[in-house]
Amino acid sequence: MGEEKEKKKRVLIVEDAAYMREMLQEMLHQEEGSYEVVGFAVNGKEALEKYKELKPDIVTMDLVMEVMDGIQAIREIKRYDPNALIIAITALGMPEYKDAALAAGADEYLWKPFTINNLFEALEKVLRKRGRGSEGNE
Amino acid sequence: MIKIERLNYRFLILLSTVLACAILAFFVGFIREETIVYTHFFYIPILLAGVWYRKKAVYIALLLSSVYILVALLSPQTALSAHIFERSAIFVAVAYVIGFVSEERAKGEEKLKETKEEIKNERDKLNLILESMDDGVCIISRDYEVEFMNRVLIDAFGYHVGDICYKAFHNRDEPCPGCKNPEVVKGKTVRWEWHSRRTNRTYDLFEAPLKNIDGTISKLTIFRDISDRKRMEDNLRDAEERYRVIFEHALTALCVIEHGKFISLANKEFEALSGYSREEIKGKKWIDFATEEDRDRVQNYCEERRKGEAPACCEFKFVSRDGEIKHVNAWIEPIPGTDSCIASLLDMTELKRKEEELRETCKRLAELDKMKSDFLNVAYHELRSPLAPIVGYASMLERYKLPDRGMRYLRAIEQSAKQLEKLINRMLELARIDGKKIELSLEWVRIPEVVSEVVKSLEPEAKEKRQKISMSVPEIEVQADKQKLIAIFTNLVSNAIKYTPEGGKIDINVEDRGEDIRACVADTGIGIPEEHLPKIFERFYMVDTSLTRKSGSLGLGLSIVKEYVKLHGGIVWARSEVGKGSEFFFTIPKRQKAIKKGA
Repeated sequence: MGEEKEKKKRVLIVEDAAYMREMLQEMLHQEEGSYEVVGFAVNGKEALEKYKELKPDIVTMDLVMEVMDGIQAIREIKRYDPNALIIAITALGMPEYKDAALAAGADEYLWKPFTINNLFEALEKVLRKRGRGSEGNE
Repeated sequence: MIKIERLNYRFLILLSTVLACAILAFFVGFIREETIVYTHFFYIPILLAGVWYRKKAVYIALLLSSVYILVALLSPQTALSAHIFERSAIFVAVAYVIGFVSEERAKGEEKLKETKEEIKNERDKLNLILESMDDGVCIISRDYEVEFMNRVLIDAFGYHVGDICYKAFHNRDEPCPGCKNPEVVKGKTVRWEWHSRRTNRTYDLFEAPLKNIDGTISKLTIFRDISDRKRMEDNLRDAEERYRVIFEHALTALCVIEHGKFISLANKEFEALSGYSREEIKGKKWIDFATEEDRDRVQNYCEERRKGEAPACCEFKFVSRDGEIKHVNAWIEPIPGTDSCIASLLDMTELKRKEEELRETCKRLAELDKMKSDFLNVAYHELRSPLAPIVGYASMLERYKLPDRGMRYLRAIEQSAKQLEKLINRMLELARIDGKKIELSLEWVRIPEVVSEVVKSLEPEAKEKRQKISMSVPEIEVQADKQKLIAIFTNLVSNAIKYTPEGGKIDINVEDRGEDIRACVADTGIGIPEEHLPKIFERFYMVDTSLTRKSGSLGLGLSIVKEYVKLHGGIVWARSEVGKGSEFFFTIPKRQKAIKKGA
């Protein structure tokens, strides 16, 4: 179990803006050995396919995207895998969106703009939650 | 008494005459022994008795006859002869005749008296009737002499019986030109109306010939006072005229409907509405003014209104002469006591068009408002998104060892990014206020805590301008949305910092007023010109929009303050003097009436 914990967490980045995908990858690779970006998706539909294919530990999910929006994607992924960990990331300001994202199954919500510290806090928070959840399961 | 005295007097005279005659007879016949001449006196008492006592005179005659016979018997000269008996019989006969005649006369007199009495009674009765009549009565002879006036007439004109009518009543020297006397005395009956200037009353006169006992004809006039009736009639006519004018000049189309069908009267406005003249309108079926499709409905409405049912107003389409269709509201009201109704029609066409226009405008405005809200939402998202890499990369840069200069540059980037984020946030707040999407998340908030938090966050800015912030805040708790309260104070204080020159003073003062609190943020800044004061709480309003204005403001701060204060049920206002400073006040109730749990 301990060994497993030290293993890099595999992250799927869902974002329609290339510069955001790049930045998120940069941020995640700042902490050497903790996180590994295993893939990208530019819309919700692709996110679901990539999730099924890659089985990542954590998904960062933009909400405003073409084809399938983030809220829908969260719902689909959670239906496929209820244990999926998803952090919704958006610039939308209305609290309703946060409520909608959380209701769809997002585990954490991050507002743009955010600092690297904000991101890691969010990641650690969901992982702790998972840790508790899986311990309870096992 | 008088009767008895007279009786005694007559009786005494008679007795003395009889005695005198008897004595004379005895004296002459018995003593002087003569007879014949002296019995002639005997006729005097017989005559008197005949006149006075009528047939009773026979007894006197018998008495005197016996005296004569006695004298003849006693007298030595005179022998009792046929001649004597004959004379005695003549005495009795004369007495009887005189008595009879006298009695007949008396009987006639009695009858006359009775008749007179009867006539008097009749007249009294007639007078009573005439006196008790409400009408005036007078009788005027053919020579214009007033023969009779009853009480009513005397009260009105004074007592003029015996006067000449035209003199007494009209102060004229000859008969009035319109006098009906000549006609009436010829046997005509006339009736006419006369207004007396003297009594200022109007009379209905009935004049008829009246035959007198002597065969002449007088004029009987009955005066009926019709002034009150006339006045009532006049009043009625006045009232009618008044209502007619109201009806005619009313600004709604009015018409009177008979038996729920035909129009009997219409006013000017109805003419204007329908395009027909009132002569044409009269007799028309009023239902014909409604469009085909509305007719049944309007007729039903009319019937129900006549029964006092149905709502007072009915809307229908009205067709005018040239086929133009107008939207009218009709009110039908039954006229009490008749089978008529009055209908008032108000042309709503223009009003309806305006209403439609207004509704259209309203809809467009709502659409625009939503568009604006949507735009702001999208703009917010699109502006914040590029901010993400700026903040993100800057935060990553901090992890690297940068030279001092590089570090300073990084701080500058971060500060600007923060400023930009703040401005964008305000835009969102505005969008949310507009969309009425704000709910207060109420909690008990300590005011000193809020104020010191705000002052702490703004102190660096103030320090930069060497301004001094002082505060006087009592320990109060209010039920409010803490974040909103912070936003209110932040906006007011940062405005004060912004518009107060270096070295100025800013004072925050909160007062406990029992039911609510009143907060004041005062500065020693440039102040606000009076003409701008009423508008400063309006959105995007900026006192100075020139290129020389102080930058870094969108003109939203005060409008947000106003909205947030209003959400809490408080009010906001400002006082200012140019060059001396401004004071911003707001109130917040301590307790919110309806506690809503919001996001």
